[in-house]
Amino acid sequence: MRRSHLLATAAGLALACSPLAAHAQFAPAGSGGAPSAAVPGPGNASEPTESSPKNQGYFSGPSPYAPQAPGVNAANLPDIESIDASQVPAMAPQQSANPAREDWVAYGRDDHQTRYSPLSEITPENADKLKVAFTYHTGSYPRPGQVNKWAAETTPIKVGDGLYMCSAMNDIIKLDPVTGKQIWRRNVDVKYHSIPYTAACKGVTYFTSSVVPEGQPCHNRLIEGTLDMRLIAVDAETGDFCPNFGHGGQVNLMQGLGESVPGFVSMTAPPPVINGVLVVNHEVLDGQRRWAPSGVIRGYDAESGKFVWAWDVNNPDDHSQPTGNRHYSRGTPNSWATLTGDNEQGLVYVPTGNSAADYYSALRSDAENKVSSAVVAIDVKTGSPRWVFQTAHKDVWDYDIGSQATLMDMPGPDGQTVPALIMPTKRGQTFVLDRRTGKPILPVEERPAPSPGVIPGDPRSPTQPWSVGMPALRVPDLKETDMWGMSPIDQLFCRIKFRRANYVGEFTPPSVDKPWIEYPGYNGGSDWGSMSYDPQSGILIANWNITPMYDQLVTRKKADKLGLMPIDDPNFKPGGGGAEGNGAMDGTPYGIVVTPFWDQYTGMMCNRPPYGMITAIDMKHGQKVLWQHPLGTARANGPWGLPTGLPWEIGTPNNGGSVVTGGGLIFIAAATDNQIRAIDEHTGKVVWSAVLPGGGQANPMTYEANGHQYVAIMAGGHHFMMTPVSDQLVVYALPDAVKQ
Amino acid sequence: MPNIQGNRTLTEWLTLLLGVVILLVGLFFVIAGGDLAMLGGSTYYVLCGIVLVASGVFMLMGRTLGAFLYLAALAYTWVWSLWEVGFSPVDLLPRAFGPTILGILVALTIPVLRRMESRRTLRGAV
Repeated sequence: MRRSHLLATAAGLALACSPLAAHAQFAPAGSGGAPSAAVPGPGNASEPTESSPKNQGYFSGPSPYAPQAPGVNAANLPDIESIDASQVPAMAPQQSANPAREDWVAYGRDDHQTRYSPLSEITPENADKLKVAFTYHTGSYPRPGQVNKWAAETTPIKVGDGLYMCSAMNDIIKLDPVTGKQIWRRNVDVKYHSIPYTAACKGVTYFTSSVVPEGQPCHNRLIEGTLDMRLIAVDAETGDFCPNFGHGGQVNLMQGLGESVPGFVSMTAPPPVINGVLVVNHEVLDGQRRWAPSGVIRGYDAESGKFVWAWDVNNPDDHSQPTGNRHYSRGTPNSWATLTGDNEQGLVYVPTGNSAADYYSALRSDAENKVSSAVVAIDVKTGSPRWVFQTAHKDVWDYDIGSQATLMDMPGPDGQTVPALIMPTKRGQTFVLDRRTGKPILPVEERPAPSPGVIPGDPRSPTQPWSVGMPALRVPDLKETDMWGMSPIDQLFCRIKFRRANYVGEFTPPSVDKPWIEYPGYNGGSDWGSMSYDPQSGILIANWNITPMYDQLVTRKKADKLGLMPIDDPNFKPGGGGAEGNGAMDGTPYGIVVTPFWDQYTGMMCNRPPYGMITAIDMKHGQKVLWQHPLGTARANGPWGLPTGLPWEIGTPNNGGSVVTGGGLIFIAAATDNQIRAIDEHTGKVVWSAVLPGGGQANPMTYEANGHQYVAIMAGGHHFMMTPVSDQLVVYALPDAVKQ
Repeated sequence: MPNIQGNRTLTEWLTLLLGVVILLVGLFFVIAGGDLAMLGGSTYYVLCGIVLVASGVFMLMGRTLGAFLYLAALAYTWVWSLWEVGFSPVDLLPRAFGPTILGILVALTIPVLRRMESRRTLRGAV
């Protein structure tokens, strides 16, 4: 199934999002035999130094002290000043803490990011009557001559009389939630060349000010991070920039990042506000170079946009903004998932990615190795981690976490409830942690890894963590007999591909001599769609992928021959090797070649279907699987990319998450069959489906307006999932509402 | 008996074409299947491939034996498929579906091959 490789999408995403990173003066102590005790690539705290001749080849990219590239919109903004955390005004109660029944206030609806709405007008009995209430065209799609890098991934929020969303290129829009009429639109002028791996805007953040009185502009405001690294705040009533936020409503997030080019770093997820502190993470394009821009996590005052703190992995004690020629340490793990805030604990839960140069770990610092592919709980007062829980040790598989953590209350041993955090991962291991301490609530075992690694000087971790108390969202390790195809001919081809690769199960280490199979692949398991949780029924809904990858490290010579070069190389050509799998990993001895584990002639995955699943887990009674089904039909997929039109629920790769409602329904698109469907939460039966104008690779949401329930999905498509692009938000309702 | 003169009918041409297809599939099975067996994988393909090559050659010679060899390979395919994956339709699809369709076509060629054979016999008798 051609579209199957959507997995690849994920992969791409993952790649795009998990820059490897490292940092200059950091001797990779402890990583036995790392090639260099004096790796160049200056860190924040260090003064510029000349690279020793012996290391000169290692850092051949532009100097991190070079001025920022022109064309980054953010670069035109003046620097923002810093304030102390104690100066951040006390936060007013936010609607996201306890949303009105009819609203969907945050990306995951509420502060717990449950994606649960109590609305119950639409039920399994009447869902088949759903009709399109309205559609809205954002106007954001590739124009002639532009490479398709679109995947809007947008989830609107609904607060009071407004449905608020962003376009794939970050324009902020307020719609009438009943008619879909545009009330205002704030164009923010993001340029095409600022698109990183993907033009995506997952959503905007709704914030109520405690400083600006009610009735004044920007008392209620919308905040977003942009592809070109600006933090923008506009008034919810008018869409006008908030004059008292940053510089005319904008903050330059490139400040302190050092050398970069447009598209290298970007924001695609809505930043949460925790006790008045707006926490910002950003994606750094995967696979480019070891000394990519920093993955620093930063806190800003949600009222003024002023800088409060930074958490810079390789300078953990310096929480200030770099000044002069200094910058945040380069190559550190970045986080591109949507963050989850916790006002009560005063924490932000940061799902982290990998250090830059995902597939080679010998140049990483110990500090990086401790926090990559982990959940890091950062104290929003200090910017220091309070706890860290790692989901993959010394990750060289691009197992960066794309999912957002969901918060819930777990029944404790003594009748009390434990504040818990659910962390889905690409591995399909779902970790349930005590959010006060990061300690697992459900058992986690450290199991021996299958191989010590084969790359000289880059040993693998002897063990890896397994969440044995939760159902694994994966199938068993692949066997030759799992190879598939239309006929014995392509099946034989895949069997040979399987046998030609190194494969010893999950955590097969990277190799140069031949390809290695990576399963779970970098599309997951679970990816950015995350999970939804119904606190009433205790049912957790997870959609996930079975999409192995076929990877191989290549020597620098070979990488050059393949034309792999980092995005900031003057000769870089989009599509000529970048984030879509292959990467130069400049600054390391190797480049990386990544493809889906497929028959490249037919475009069909090599492994047997299903390629995507949806699972309901009963969290209240022993974490049992209530039901589990393939997700997605073969209607829009087939060999050579041809749609088969078959209603067969084969289970396609999927990107995007679910909604669960008080009416006992799950709404989900995600699959590459371009359909949205309603599923009975208790039985798993699909009770309604409709074909979307584009791929439904976004999280849907639901709200009530004028007394009726609506379901909204951005059918923006996804370039990597190879689903059709559209600029349409499609909103469904029952006929009673549509008549009005 | 217009064919006595050696003019081929359409069905005979189609039979020969089928023989070519089977021969090519057989050769692919022998070469790629040999590769797979050397890599430690299944030996089904190389073994089946040998039978298919023989089947294709005999069909091209206009011998009914070619069709029966194919049907034998098909039987082997089904036994092997069921041994490998059981009665799982999804997994039987790549293994047995195509070969069975081909098998139906091959069965249809048996009368044609018989005719070709008897013609040859007649010619031989002259």
